Amino acid sequence: MTGCRVPPVLARWAIILAVLGLWEAGTRLSSVSSLLIVPPSLILWNVARIAVEAGAVPDFYANALVTIGEIAVAYALAALIGALIGIAVAGSRIIGDAFEPILLVLYAIPKIIFYPVIVLMIGTGYPAKVIFGILVAIFVIIFNTTAGLRQVDANYVRLARSLGYGRTKIFFKVELPAAAQTILAGLRLGFGYTIIGVLTGELLVVNAGFGYLIDWASVNYHTAELYALIAITLVLGVLANSLVSRVERLWVK
Amino acid sequence: MMSRSAERQLVRAIRLSAIVLVIALWDVALRWGWIDPLFLASPLDTLIHIRAVVVEAKLDIAATVTAFLVAFVTGVIFALGIGFAISLSNYSRLVFLPVLVLGVTIPKVTLMPLFILWFGIARLPVIVFGALSAFFPMVVNVLIAGNEVKPAQVLLARAMGLSRVQIYRKVVFPAMLPVLSSGLFYACNAAMMGVFIVELALDRHGMGAYVHDLAMTFRTADMYAAVVLTAGMTVLINMALWYIARYFGRWRN
Repeated sequence: MTGCRVPPVLARWAIILAVLGLWEAGTRLSSVSSLLIVPPSLILWNVARIAVEAGAVPDFYANALVTIGEIAVAYALAALIGALIGIAVAGSRIIGDAFEPILLVLYAIPKIIFYPVIVLMIGTGYPAKVIFGILVAIFVIIFNTTAGLRQVDANYVRLARSLGYGRTKIFFKVELPAAAQTILAGLRLGFGYTIIGVLTGELLVVNAGFGYLIDWASVNYHTAELYALIAITLVLGVLANSLVSRVERLWVK
Repeated sequence: MMSRSAERQLVRAIRLSAIVLVIALWDVALRWGWIDPLFLASPLDTLIHIRAVVVEAKLDIAATVTAFLVAFVTGVIFALGIGFAISLSNYSRLVFLPVLVLGVTIPKVTLMPLFILWFGIARLPVIVFGALSAFFPMVVNVLIAGNEVKPAQVLLARAMGLSRVQIYRKVVFPAMLPVLSSGLFYACNAAMMGVFIVELALDRHGMGAYVHDLAMTFRTADMYAAVVLTAGMTVLINMALWYIARYFGRWRN
């Protein structure tokens, strides 16, 4: 492509800024109710207000911590359990053949269907959100771990064995590093899914966290605060994802 | 070493006994009073209630399936249109792909209150959210599918005197098909998830609302039956899609 001098990154930002500009102009000039849509400048102002002013929304930092805590616990468990199941499935062909169809069927079912069951069984508190987050995230971690370990060239393992490596040593020194790229991709996707799962759980059974704040703003028609809170969660999602990709790139190279 | 058929039988035996074990545990948990029957229905009760649920929830099942189909088809059509339009130039693909990938990974579910604000509490927000959920994974797959097309093959086809339309039909589209059909799977599951989330939250139409009502009124056996039924329906939809994808794949070869 010789004709395009503008780097794609700049073009991307130009388009994003243009959309925001049109949005700003459109809401300022038209008579659409500010209950429905507010201009980006006002959203930004409210994000700042929420961050600094204590009473802008009820207990912003306490609720943010609840959500972040749920995401952290859910992700840690999903990564650990998912990787272990993935290793088990990849480790033995018989276990793999026996359980993979079951896992695939479970993977195909949208996990949201089970959320009412989870809530009925263990209540409306944070464990329900954590378990739902795990359920949403775990399958992509399992399948990527399995796929990664199966891709490992059998000759590496044979060579390591002929050099006298034991099973554990082969696993940690040969198989795991060789599979790392695919496993880490699964862990990255799983992180995104964990966030989606936990926030979904919070929005459907409202009692604390970002879900509570968003619900508070929406039922009270605090539209500007609602947009600001949504913007905060989306930006946190973007930041978390790019942080994880950065860690991933650090590791793979 | 075991023979292949003996191994296959062992695999089947392990799979079957695992399923039986889970169902037995489920039953025993109730029988021995580990879990209150208010929160868990026995496997047999669940099975028995499926019939009654199908009869009672006819309209809700129809509403959910309709909403899902409309959302899925709308999301996919938009994704195909926009995706192919962006793919016309390699440059625009570089500009838009990262933004659209973010559309998949960010927690869009926090937008739900806004959709309710804009589109009311009837069917529209369900369909819009489902369609949006289907759109992003599909459009990303359309853009990635463009990578599967080998420029040399296009060049060859042009040299053989094929028209633009013919090149598209005979070379470009078949090369993209595998990635497009895997996009359909993601889009299908995302649409189901999206539809069900909004149905649960709005609590007015569809299986989401029906399950929500059953959970709130502690009609436990009916609720488990409804969840199993919904899960079964999603598995059927996935299988149908799988057969369609395979049919087209066979036609391609």
